[in-house]
Amino acid sequence: MTQVTLSALTKQFDQKSDPAVDRLDLQIESGKLTALLGPSGCGKTTTMKMIAGLLRPTSGDISFDGQSILSIAPEDRGAVMVFQNYLLFPYMTIAENIGFGLKMRKMDRKEIRSRVKDMLDLVQLPGFEERRPRQLSGGQQQRIALARALIVQPNVLLLDEPLSNLDAHLRDEMRELIRRIQTEMAITTVFVTHDQEEAVVLADRIALLFDGRLQQFDVPDAFFDTPKSVEIAKFFGGTNFIPGFYQDSEINTSIGRFSAPHSAVGEGDAVLSIRPEAITLGANGDNSVTGTIRSHVYVGRYARFRIEIGEVEVEAVTDPGAVKMFSDGEEIPVRFDPNKIWVISPSPDVALQDGG
Amino acid sequence: MASRRIRIKRKALSEAAGRRLTITVLLAPAILVILLLFMGGLITGFLRSLGYFPLIGLHDFNFNAYTAILSDNGFIRSFIITFHIAFTSTLIAGILAVASAMLLRPAFRGKRFVQFIFSLNLTIPHLVGAVGVLYLFSGSGLISRLATAAGLIDTPAGFPPMVNDPWAIGIIIQYVWKEIPFIGVIVLAILLSVGEDYESVARSLGANRWQAFRNVTLPLIMPGVVSASVIVFAFTFGAFEIPWLLGTTFPKALPVLAFESYTDVDLAARPQAMAMAMVIAFMSSLMIMAYMKLSRRYVRS
Repeated sequence: MTQVTLSALTKQFDQKSDPAVDRLDLQIESGKLTALLGPSGCGKTTTMKMIAGLLRPTSGDISFDGQSILSIAPEDRGAVMVFQNYLLFPYMTIAENIGFGLKMRKMDRKEIRSRVKDMLDLVQLPGFEERRPRQLSGGQQQRIALARALIVQPNVLLLDEPLSNLDAHLRDEMRELIRRIQTEMAITTVFVTHDQEEAVVLADRIALLFDGRLQQFDVPDAFFDTPKSVEIAKFFGGTNFIPGFYQDSEINTSIGRFSAPHSAVGEGDAVLSIRPEAITLGANGDNSVTGTIRSHVYVGRYARFRIEIGEVEVEAVTDPGAVKMFSDGEEIPVRFDPNKIWVISPSPDVALQDGG
Repeated sequence: MASRRIRIKRKALSEAAGRRLTITVLLAPAILVILLLFMGGLITGFLRSLGYFPLIGLHDFNFNAYTAILSDNGFIRSFIITFHIAFTSTLIAGILAVASAMLLRPAFRGKRFVQFIFSLNLTIPHLVGAVGVLYLFSGSGLISRLATAAGLIDTPAGFPPMVNDPWAIGIIIQYVWKEIPFIGVIVLAILLSVGEDYESVARSLGANRWQAFRNVTLPLIMPGVVSASVIVFAFTFGAFEIPWLLGTTFPKALPVLAFESYTDVDLAARPQAMAMAMVIAFMSSLMIMAYMKLSRRYVRS
């Protein structure tokens, strides 16, 4: 059980460009599964390599349980990284691959053999000892890479895009496996992903990075319910952003005044954000406005409507039955659930005309 | 429908055959040269080593030349010194080349310039290198005179023999100097294509720098090191000019011995010269095979 703390961690590869990781502060909880999430090139893998000791930070500090580890060599940190492309040693058997870390610690051969066997059982590939990496499928190689990391009982397990090279059903299997092992062994685990869904499903907490800067560090549902900025909301699939003025738990916009008890900002210019699922069609009452249905898509499990309200277009997701009740061009009342409105600070990124 | 399919298939087949023909025709000049020069030379040489040399009136097949050279103590001594030259030069050049390639791998300021300097002597002929060795390392050479001036030795005569010496130090220095960039450039290219990620994995799993190099990087680049070393070994085993310039008069390196027998006024020595050439070719292929087998085992362990 190890708590990992990053303080003002910065990595700048050369003087001319912006830092890949910029003054990152992060408390990674002991024994939990934390996701480093962000679009490609946002500094996730760089951060991970710095924790593993494979890259030297330009400035800032990394500590395990309060002890700075910057001066400790990678092999002595107990932070093991599993690479995205597995990187099994091609000229070794599977047993030699898994036992590698123990061999480096000069452990007795017999002991290594028995631990390798336990590991193969753990990743559900018993009897694979004598095979060669090239004889294994991608999913199997991934599990061997995981076993090779776990056998050294790391303090911190670092997974670089653990699911991105797998196809859909293997992905679910691997996700379950990582979850199960992580819970059983209670290893502090950090994984890097560019896929918000993957992060939400797997992680206890998510650190969202854009351009090397930490945007929000929170439990998964917070990114849907209370995103700190329009960009964050958009990254998590938010589509409706309406600018206005916030005052006294109400936001006044060009399409009307809405009661909004939940806000990230105080009085002043603000943006009303509401997820497409929180918009109810055909419901009168408070927080209602009139809109015209522009188009709709029937997806099976749900339906998606585009509705024009004044000069704003919003997207609403409803149960599939709504397709039969409303038709394109129809004028209907549209209700914004006040408890699901989240007011955030305005950003130049808000695209008004296309609704996001 | 079926006939059409057959026609298409036949067309595809004839196209493939046409392609094969094109390739054969394009390769023909190269193959012809190899066959005529290499195989032709080898066969002629072999026949002559067996005593068949109609031009100088030898018509009988026999193994006299082989028995003569193999029972000659001088030939055995020559073989030993030649093996020593080839093996030691290849080993030292190989180790230093891998070390240099490792040093040249990371990005650093001025890397291009250093790399240029490193590969510069690839373009310098062996003979020039040999002259350089003479100037630097001979008894009256620069280093000897500098050592005298610095008071390390009393007179230049006190300088240890490094040219025309029994240990072939001068020859080995010349070969090592010339072959480090050759092996090094090949190994560097392989190192760069393999990348540093495997090493990172090893370090992360608890290997220190040396362990990661020994257990991960070295096995990954070994095939390339072996191929390059084999070429160097074969060359240094069979090359004539450097041992001729920098070697002792006894024992002579095999290629020197073979050349001198061949140019001997006594025409009867010709079959022996050819037999020596055959032995050189046979021995170097044998040793190359053994070397490849050994290093492959090393990679597996």
